[in-house]
Amino acid sequence: MKVRIFKISRFLPWAIAVAALPAFLQGQAPERFLSDAELAIQFRERCEYVIDQVVENTDPSNTKRGGMFTVAANLHRGANLEWARAHIREANQNPTGAMFWMHPMVLMMETGRGVLNEDDWAFIRELWRTYFPYRGDTENHWIMYYASIYLACEMFPEAGPEHWYNGKSSAENMAEAKEYISDWIRITSSYGQGEYDSPNYIEEYTRPMALLAGWAQDPVVRQQGKMMMDYILLDYVVESLEGLYGGAHSRLYPRYALQPSLTAGAAHGWLFFNQGEYRANAGNTLIALSGYTPPPILYRIAHGRADKAYVQRELKRTRWRLRNAGPDAFEIDGKSTTPVYKYSYVHPDFILGSSQGGLLQPIQQQTWSLIWREEDASGKTNTMFGLQPYSSPLEGTMYFPSDWDTVTDLIARSKVDYDSPDKLEGGSPYEHVFQDESTLIALYDIPEGARFPLIHTLFSRDLKNRVEDESGWIFGQGGPVYVAYRPFAPGVWKEVDWTGLLKSGAGAWFSTNFEELARGSKSYVSESLKNGYIVEVAPVSEFASYDGFMQAVRALPLEYKLEPSPSVSFTNLDGKRLTASYGEQLTVEGRVVDPTKWKLFDGPYSQAERESEKLEIRFGPERYTLDFKTLSAETKILESE
Amino acid sequence: MKHPLYTLAAGVAALALSASAQGTEEQQIFAALAMTKAQESSPIPTDSGVFLYEASSGEWVRTGPVIQAINSIETDPSNPQRVFLACGNGIVRSLDGGESWKMTSGWRESDFTKIAIDPVDGSNVYAASVWGVSVSRDGGETWAPANRGLAQKYSRTIIVDERKPKRLLLGTADGIYQSNDGANTWRPIRSSPKLTILRIARSEADSQLWIAGTEGQGVYLSRNDGKSWSQSAAELADRNIYAVAVDPYDANNMAAAGWGTGVWVSRDGGKSWQARGDGLPSQNVTSMTYDPKQKGRLWVSTFEEGTVYSDNGGRDWQDGGLFGAYVFDLGTIPVE
Repeated sequence: MKVRIFKISRFLPWAIAVAALPAFLQGQAPERFLSDAELAIQFRERCEYVIDQVVENTDPSNTKRGGMFTVAANLHRGANLEWARAHIREANQNPTGAMFWMHPMVLMMETGRGVLNEDDWAFIRELWRTYFPYRGDTENHWIMYYASIYLACEMFPEAGPEHWYNGKSSAENMAEAKEYISDWIRITSSYGQGEYDSPNYIEEYTRPMALLAGWAQDPVVRQQGKMMMDYILLDYVVESLEGLYGGAHSRLYPRYALQPSLTAGAAHGWLFFNQGEYRANAGNTLIALSGYTPPPILYRIAHGRADKAYVQRELKRTRWRLRNAGPDAFEIDGKSTTPVYKYSYVHPDFILGSSQGGLLQPIQQQTWSLIWREEDASGKTNTMFGLQPYSSPLEGTMYFPSDWDTVTDLIARSKVDYDSPDKLEGGSPYEHVFQDESTLIALYDIPEGARFPLIHTLFSRDLKNRVEDESGWIFGQGGPVYVAYRPFAPGVWKEVDWTGLLKSGAGAWFSTNFEELARGSKSYVSESLKNGYIVEVAPVSEFASYDGFMQAVRALPLEYKLEPSPSVSFTNLDGKRLTASYGEQLTVEGRVVDPTKWKLFDGPYSQAERESEKLEIRFGPERYTLDFKTLSAETKILESE
Repeated sequence: MKHPLYTLAAGVAALALSASAQGTEEQQIFAALAMTKAQESSPIPTDSGVFLYEASSGEWVRTGPVIQAINSIETDPSNPQRVFLACGNGIVRSLDGGESWKMTSGWRESDFTKIAIDPVDGSNVYAASVWGVSVSRDGGETWAPANRGLAQKYSRTIIVDERKPKRLLLGTADGIYQSNDGANTWRPIRSSPKLTILRIARSEADSQLWIAGTEGQGVYLSRNDGKSWSQSAAELADRNIYAVAVDPYDANNMAAAGWGTGVWVSRDGGKSWQARGDGLPSQNVTSMTYDPKQKGRLWVSTFEEGTVYSDNGGRDWQDGGLFGAYVFDLGTIPVE
């Protein structure tokens, strides 16, 4: 294949038509080709709609409510200015929230250029002088902190140390922030994100990057922001289904685990790719105001890639481990981390994705999940996942600088479900997960005395027609997919009834509406310490009937044993024989699957080598390359010979 | 137990440390803390910072900025106007006795747990953190990592030997390490337990005597100036000991405490130990120190249930305030 650079506007429609040919041949009408200009106009229209909604929903009679995102939208429009000025003061009587205070403040300040008066600026600058924000303890905290302080200082580049809470001048703060931002980008584009692929926390990265892309005066920082926006969105779009973020996730709150359409990722899906429904979302407000425009290739991937299933392999890493790092750990610049191997099977009708298991993240890890397509995902629990509920000071002290005896308690002050046997997310050192395309195997070896000696798997209310078969398989249908689940040890059905109570008895914020969200869904709970299961997924379209699917699954060769440790041999619906043993590697047709050599991104729409600091985004013959070493973003069209 | 009213003086954002009389140096008790008891549905404590105990009023008065996660404070023994805060954010320093502050560390440094300063040459400042040791050779203006020789960087406590200022003892996740060259290199102390060292203290009355609290193996003592260590207090042999202290007036008096242990005291230099948990508001102890001014007075901070003191070796406890606090470090600093 020879690479030539063409004028995109001339050749891309043709190229996209070729890329869409498989869908056409399968009888699906390909979506109308949209030019770069059309995509940009449509994206801008959605941005304007977001801003309109925020302004329209502003209550100018109430100076106590609103928030800085709302203030920013109003300042941008020149609306409700007196309310905005009053609310800035009202909301900042006692600043709190650290980086969650900083970045909305910066957004407000940037949109307030030329609008706010001297008194306003004096009030704002006094806040930055007196309120000393905590830098936080997670990756998203730090990038929000440094993007915010960079931009705040860039607005007052001559300000001396007496003007800032930390006693550093604008020049010092900007230099430090630039260095951190560059280092974060280098590590992310070399080894993967530590807080990877979170449907919730994606906006904690798109917010600071959009701030930089939209308002940084320094062209280098501005370009870094724009390119990392592109990077994060690519990371999301190749594992998304109609805007829903599929696969394994670093962090996910329980209400969002149950209803993927509620996530920030889903809100981004609407804004960036016109998928799913509009939902009010602070990240979208910031992005809409920033002027950032995504590269059109991402839209084309979101809409044009769903005609054929593919495997997406990705390399991520754990959050920094400060102790108990384990034998697989390696150091980056003196800090320990461990590789995370992500595998997703992205089908037009579903995404089944997983990581290898273990304690990859504190608190909120989702080791594997299935999501399926729904005509309207709103209100749907179109997902399935399983876990071994685990909590321990070992995990807490691995990731947090807290004491052994207080860390679990302190985590549960805000993440109320952390120390609950019924929790819906979290990693476990007793869980190993293996996957080949639409087949997932999970094995568990839980020691005696474990805090919660059980595993559970969600069977949602939207997984219909559940059948507990005499063969041992449990069948169900979710939207356009059939699901077969084969537990290796008996279990019982329980309500998903956890409501996340605080010590005082009050419900935590993320438990709001939990009963409504959980109602009708069941957990399959097994208390066998040696355990495991198989999940086999297939599109409805591949079988003449549900009975046909069940009959086919019943006939699949399966052998497993649980002692002395779990292992399984299974031939799946594609006729491939998989073997897996707890603590060892998967074999497919006798060949060992070794993830330790996986690339950073490896799929039909994205390629990146480890430590390359370069990502190639692909769609049809189009190539969009982000090179973070040279800070260049380049589009090419390939010509086949 | 008596309950005199102690209050947390509010609204004093930057009280100068140099406020006491006649400009003479004295030791003052501090508490580096976070108010966690009322923390609910939030990862953020309701208050945080360093507070100094004003013996005359019985009040704890804030010093330094309000920042989440300030874990300890240290002042330069040769110049108490120079104050350092060990913070989650990094190192925050004052050169004017607390009138103004600057975060002198950068993005590479964070989560500091304890600071030690060369008593002879205050330009040498050492700071332990969960990511390893940082050292400054210019009085805290700039920082560099100093982890050569450490098997594990996670460090909770660091002490400089005031008689040999280039000698430091460091409590890591791999036991006690020693440096004899001002933190340029570290070597493990062979007899140290190979686990997380939570706290190290040295006797002011007997410079040969050191005491350490460990995560999971109770109390260790050294009677030969830190060269070799052996387990003490068999009753605490499998406990997490967050707090240890030796009476500055009498090296035979020492105390240790941890999670669920209450306070244990020894009056014979560690040969025997007695439980003194009765009357404590909680058996979960996070920090302790002997009072430098009140002979024999032992201060103890319990997890969220208040700080107390005893003047009779732990037989009775008096309310010392700070209810609701998680005190990370309770100690003394020189002030002018």
